[in-house]
Amino acid sequence: MKILYFAWLKNKTGRSKEIINDKKIKDVNSLLNFISKKYPNLRKYINKKDILRIAINLKYTTKNKRLNNNDEIAIFPPVSGG
Amino acid sequence: MIKIQKKDFYIENEINKLRKSYSNVGAVSNFIGYVKKNNNNKKVNSIYLEVYDKMAKKKLEEIVKKAKKKWDIIDCIIIHRFGKLTTGEKIVMVATISKHRKDSFSSCKFIMSYLKKEAPFWKKEIYNKKSTWLKN
Repeated sequence: MKILYFAWLKNKTGRSKEIINDKKIKDVNSLLNFISKKYPNLRKYINKKDILRIAINLKYTTKNKRLNNNDEIAIFPPVSGG
Repeated sequence: MIKIQKKDFYIENEINKLRKSYSNVGAVSNFIGYVKKNNNNKKVNSIYLEVYDKMAKKKLEEIVKKAKKKWDIIDCIIIHRFGKLTTGEKIVMVATISKHRKDSFSSCKFIMSYLKKEAPFWKKEIYNKKSTWLKN
C-alpha cells in the first residue's frame, strides 16, 4: 500500500511517501503499529488522540478500517489552510 | 470551479469570468484570505503552503455540491494557492453567485468554514530564524 505523509510528519519520517506491504498489516491499527515501530519518534503522536488524521483513498476515516495492498493511505496533522 | 495553483490571480477577472457564463446573476459574495504580517505575536516573513492535491480537489467538490443543495446558488469558484507566499499575498478566494444576496452570503461563509476544517492544506509560517507549522 502507498503511504503519504504531510506537513511536519515528513520531518519525522524523513520522506513524503513510501510503499509498505507487510503481511501483518490488515487494518488501520496494525498499519499505525507498524509505522510506530519503524519511526519511533512518531509513536507519541500516533498514540495520542486527535493529533493525526488518516485518509484512505482520499476519504477521512476515524475507524479501524480494513486495508488492501492497492490502498493509498495519507497520514497528516489537522489541516490549516485558508 | 476549483483551482489549486501556485500562481497569483486577479479577483476581478476570476469573478467576471464566472459571472459572464450566466445570464441572470443578481449577487456575488466573496471571501479572500491573505498572508498576515503578524500572527500569534510573531513577525511573519512568508508562509509555505502544502497540499494533498487529489484529496483537496475531492473535498472541495463535495462541499460545493453540499452548498448547492442547501442554497439556491448558480455557481461558485474556489481558488487556493500552494507553495511559498510572502506577506500580503492572496492565499484563497471563495466566490459564490446567485440571484439573491442571502444565498450567496450564506453559501460563501459555509464553503469557507468547511474548507478551513476539512480541506487538506497545511500552513508553515516562516519567521526570521525559525518556522512553525500552524495548528489551524
